[in-house]
Amino acid sequence: MFKQIADVKQGLLEQRYIASDEIATVVFLAEQMGKPILAEGPAGVGKTELAKAWAAASGRELIRLQCYEGLDESKALYEWEYSKQMLYTQLLRDKLSQIMGEATTLAEAADALSKEENVFFSRRFLLPRPLLRALMNDKPVVLLIDEIDRADAEFEAFLLEILSDFQVSVPELGTIKANHQPMVVLTSNNTRELSEALKRRALYLFVDYPSFESELRIVQMRAPDLAPQVARQCVEIVQRLRGLDLKKAPSVAETVDWAKALVAINAKHLDEKTLNDTLTVILKHESDIQRARRALSGGKRGQDLGVR
Amino acid sequence: MEERIVEFISALRSSGVRVSLAESADAMKAISAVGVMDRQTFKNALKATLVKEPADVPSFEQLFPLYFGHEGPPMQPPQGLSQEQQEQLRRAIEQLREQLRQLMQMLAQGQQPTREQMQQFAQKAGINRGMRGNRQVQEWLTERMLRQMGLTPEQVKDALEALMKQLKQQGMSAEGRQEVRETVEGNAEALREQVARFVGQSLLNQPDDNPRRQRIDDLMNRPLSSLSEAEADELRNHVRRLVARLRSRAALRMRRGKQGHFDAKGTIRYNQRNLGVPIELKMKRRHLKPKLTVIVDVSTSMRPVAEFMLRMVYEMQDQISKARSFAFISDMHEISMIFAENRPQDAVEIVLRELPPGYYNTDLGHSLSTFCEKFSDSVDSRTTLIFVGDGRNNYNDPRADLVQMLRMRARRVIWFNPEPPYQWGHGDSDMLAYAPLCHAVHQVATLKQLADAIDDLFQNR
Repeated sequence: MFKQIADVKQGLLEQRYIASDEIATVVFLAEQMGKPILAEGPAGVGKTELAKAWAAASGRELIRLQCYEGLDESKALYEWEYSKQMLYTQLLRDKLSQIMGEATTLAEAADALSKEENVFFSRRFLLPRPLLRALMNDKPVVLLIDEIDRADAEFEAFLLEILSDFQVSVPELGTIKANHQPMVVLTSNNTRELSEALKRRALYLFVDYPSFESELRIVQMRAPDLAPQVARQCVEIVQRLRGLDLKKAPSVAETVDWAKALVAINAKHLDEKTLNDTLTVILKHESDIQRARRALSGGKRGQDLGVR
Repeated sequence: MEERIVEFISALRSSGVRVSLAESADAMKAISAVGVMDRQTFKNALKATLVKEPADVPSFEQLFPLYFGHEGPPMQPPQGLSQEQQEQLRRAIEQLREQLRQLMQMLAQGQQPTREQMQQFAQKAGINRGMRGNRQVQEWLTERMLRQMGLTPEQVKDALEALMKQLKQQGMSAEGRQEVRETVEGNAEALREQVARFVGQSLLNQPDDNPRRQRIDDLMNRPLSSLSEAEADELRNHVRRLVARLRSRAALRMRRGKQGHFDAKGTIRYNQRNLGVPIELKMKRRHLKPKLTVIVDVSTSMRPVAEFMLRMVYEMQDQISKARSFAFISDMHEISMIFAENRPQDAVEIVLRELPPGYYNTDLGHSLSTFCEKFSDSVDSRTTLIFVGDGRNNYNDPRADLVQMLRMRARRVIWFNPEPPYQWGHGDSDMLAYAPLCHAVHQVATLKQLADAIDDLFQNR
């Protein structure tokens, strides 16, 4: 799809995703080698966004599987659609009694019915969940397996099978092989150690908070209406806030939200009042806000936080 | 190039990074996909395929330039010599003894030794690929290899004198000779640098500066009371990670359906879509909202570990909305509010400041009676009550009867004790009186034990 790493970068940029060299290289390699990407890093640095941008840039459909504790095969892979099977049985009752009508014994009737069995266990009644949809899709797709660290270890082991062979076996149907090998992005917030086996199969990408310049570019791209001076201050403050010992450091997504909020209230400059009013956009814990305010007025007049 | 990558991978392995065979094969594939033209891309490709833990990145960053750095400063041919002078130089070198000749060809004419030549020298100097050695060994081997090549400053000086004599006989001008001398000295310097790098690459990095992972394990198993300041910092980071795990576990308390009770109404309702045939059973999940009450001993005997214990308590209170914490030395004090209002570090400091250690004044018995009088509302049938302490009571009345009463009221009573079981009951320890009254007693002297105890706590709910 992409010929060079620069193409990847450009493609992602067109989707308004600013990729570092590292990200572009890994995406390029994933395309070339057909390997899944495992993206780890703090929440809100654009791991999920990367998958979306990649799908859009390469013209693939994005199929997303959000992981959570207790996620199992029937939610992730496929499920038989019992109610539809039921309905068909009811509607086809006449036909069925016709087939079985000729039978004189119970055994014959059962034999006659078992011949028709595969009608009921066909793809018609298979309800594909994200994983199977990704495999059966006619066109190549990007499969996003979001927050894999939230799923249990068993599910992770089950995923391994799919990620290495790109095929699944449905007992009633046999093996389903992928039409096209999907490009897989796994994201993790690093809340638990993922298994070695999974890491071994994937290309590893650690996404960290962006540098000042990249974050400024992101803000300018996502909130183009914000005055350049304010955008600068905005990013400066966020970058410093990350240095504080906060319960939850502001993410890139929140910086962008903040920038948009500042556009919405039409802020011409970032004075103390505006800052106090809008701080809740980037900080989500009361104690964090208190702390940030203190750090802010402590370094008066805001020198510490880059407020002028 | 492949050979070099393989060497790099084995160096990574020896510095504690886990690289599997499949991953090294991936690295090769990745390199053939991106090529080797751009150093940064090359590096990113190796990083993505070989390093799968953020903690391993420093090792990678440290080793990469060693293996794929520039080879050291290149050697230069002499500048500004006329045709005739170069001819003179060539002839002068030919007049030298065999061994000196080879050296001077490299130094005076700037001929880079090939990798094979370097390897030959290395072999003569007794350096084998994959040898293990630390920094001192490396310096010593470098010295040996330089001597083997005739590159030590004294040797170069002698060789240079011999060359100068020859050049004079050939009738080279003083400026020409000066030029040759400078070239030789510069090149000798450059070559020495190259040799040092070569030796560095040949040796596998010995664990003098790497076994980070081991250290963490060590830290996990070290008694909490015997940590240095820096180690304590590192441990704190580890605690944070532990807590993150704990948080996900606590948040993910959602049980599988099969573990609940059969929900008749729900099953009928759900299976309406299947014409009332109960194909899928619905289970009622009982969402147990846990309540936690923690009582921490912050007396003198517990001081060394108190900070960690309090920190853990803080995080636990953070996890569970209905949590209350208490600290005692001679009397019981509620510290929930301090924890709720302050940042972890500050909160722990405040508690330790407000409850200064006294001299032989621990009194759990009295503290318990205060607790039962004033705070008995904090224990009910849903509460898990955790004692953190060594049960050393200064020969005061242990008031085990109160613990017995609390046990009857609470869901579970658990005790975390930093002392090993064989010390219980010795001296002023009343642990043997308390232990049978608890549902579980964990020895918590190291972070690992603490982690295990907490895991247990969240699992057996």
